[in-house]
Amino acid sequence: MKIEIQLTHEPVLEKISPPPSIGAHGAWLEFRGVVRGEEDGQTISALEYEAYPEMAEREIRRIFEWLAAKYPCLAAKVIHRVGVIPVGETAIYVGVASPHRGEAIALLAEFMDRLKQDVPIWKRRAIATDLVGRVTPCAPVEARPASPTLKSLDEAMGGIRSRCLPLPGLRVPLAEAFGRVLRETVCAPEDLPDCDRSTRDGYAILQNDTSENFQVVDTLHAADWKPRRLKTGETVRIATGAPLPGGNMRVVMQENVERTGDRIRILKRENALNLRQRGEDVRAGQTLVPTGERLDAGKLALLATAGCVQPLVSPRLRVVHFTTGDEVVPPDQAPKPGQIRDSNSILIRGLLQHFPCDVVQTHLPEDFERAKTESRKQKAEIENANVILVSGGASVGDKDFARPMLQWLGFEIVFSQVNVRPGRPLIFGVDGSRMAFGLPGNPLSHFVCFHLFVATALAKLVGEEPREFQRCALAAHLEDAPCPRETLWPARRDSPGLHPLRWSSSGDITCLAETNALIRVPANRGSIGAGTEADFLPTNC
Amino acid sequence: MRVLFFAQLKDVTGCDSVEIAPASPLDAEQLWAALLKEFPKLAAHRPSVRLAKNCEYAAPDVVFAANDEVALIPPVSGG
Repeated sequence: MKIEIQLTHEPVLEKISPPPSIGAHGAWLEFRGVVRGEEDGQTISALEYEAYPEMAEREIRRIFEWLAAKYPCLAAKVIHRVGVIPVGETAIYVGVASPHRGEAIALLAEFMDRLKQDVPIWKRRAIATDLVGRVTPCAPVEARPASPTLKSLDEAMGGIRSRCLPLPGLRVPLAEAFGRVLRETVCAPEDLPDCDRSTRDGYAILQNDTSENFQVVDTLHAADWKPRRLKTGETVRIATGAPLPGGNMRVVMQENVERTGDRIRILKRENALNLRQRGEDVRAGQTLVPTGERLDAGKLALLATAGCVQPLVSPRLRVVHFTTGDEVVPPDQAPKPGQIRDSNSILIRGLLQHFPCDVVQTHLPEDFERAKTESRKQKAEIENANVILVSGGASVGDKDFARPMLQWLGFEIVFSQVNVRPGRPLIFGVDGSRMAFGLPGNPLSHFVCFHLFVATALAKLVGEEPREFQRCALAAHLEDAPCPRETLWPARRDSPGLHPLRWSSSGDITCLAETNALIRVPANRGSIGAGTEADFLPTNC
Repeated sequence: MRVLFFAQLKDVTGCDSVEIAPASPLDAEQLWAALLKEFPKLAAHRPSVRLAKNCEYAAPDVVFAANDEVALIPPVSGG
């Protein structure tokens, strides 16, 4: 008996094929458990599931093996989705193949009962929709008293992932779809190419026609569509790219033919058929671009070929970015003693380029009351934002105000410190579907926090998988004293490896121009020798 | 030994796992005693929690050794 089990954060596909040729199963029974729009009498928009994946998989397997002794079963497939699952989408899929329907139905029913008793998967929380359509957690993940404590990097990234729901998709013309995430799977509506097409300028003949001399009966240009049945001894003149007039034909290159009037003589026969066969690129029904893929030029061209001119894609994100700090002057001004030029505005604008978004940037005065007045000018943008970023003012100095500012804007602070270097004073807040980050003021901290945390949130909002750490060997020694925090070390990633860059404080900015990766140095690790493998996050997006 | 917490038990303990270094293997009673010492609030959940050892539900007489992965499984609600 073949059992296939998946625990996944991805949506369960609309169509799942039965297992191929497993013998004589007479029944392929499928069941989908779908998230209902109501939980405990409350209207909800999503449920969040959690699993102990290793054990869940074992338990599912154990239950099936036990049930297979009672009911003949040839194959089974179970997919349980975890994470946030919107109403109407599949939480569990079960497919069972049996010789007869009776045993498949009985087995499936008993399996579901056992799953609900024994398999370590939990509905973690319901996510409610309030009257204005904003999503608010009914029961917060952390029922602990609200004392946002120091989070580890994994906890912080996990917390952000679990709180950011994909925004609803919309249909846009292809010309506006670049860089957005496809939110439906697009399949080929027909075979591509749609018919056999010539790859040479030459003469089309029947494949099995062994004649030496042929009568030219027609001429076909690239756009011509003239089906006809050729007889032995007949040929048509054909251009590269033109559809052949029928099936089972070949093209003889014009270089290998001697033409006299409307007669040709074949001088040499090639082995190649000189044609692109119908469906050789893709067959009707095959996936062209799966859901969750970011649309680049090549994928857009593919959608255009398939006639998918209004794809369902992620919305453009709306981002509001506040810079703070009276010591900061615009880059076109000369800083007075004690002042610095603002580099964070352009840094954030550049980093956001990776995600199609509309950005509003405003500088706020340090005085809290004046800052409130100033921010009121952006009332509509703030209320409609998907993400609000506050640069600076994230540590605990007297003048720092990112935290009170975000609270004043209506955000619940989820956490306000992460055990990383640089970037420890990161603030993460949530208000319904709006997310907010307070970013520590130094450019390098900005850079690190953006890639670790903000990019994770943005990816979830547009519906793609956030970037994961990868592994690669260091090409040079990384010299560092052991630090109780995890360190994200700026690095240059070239073949054949990672080159740690010179870096001593989060105020350093020269290394930013070189950085395209961040090496993850574990807490208390200290130096890492050349040739040693390390986790890193690519930042060249 | 690593002890994993899931679902609402994460809220109760404030973490998803804890390391325990027992001098010798623990039976279920001793394991609970060690956990309750650190997380007294778990006591309210004990009647409904099942113990698992290395990804399998543990029989009442199972002992937990230093290199085992232990999990506290509150009532499940998958599907």
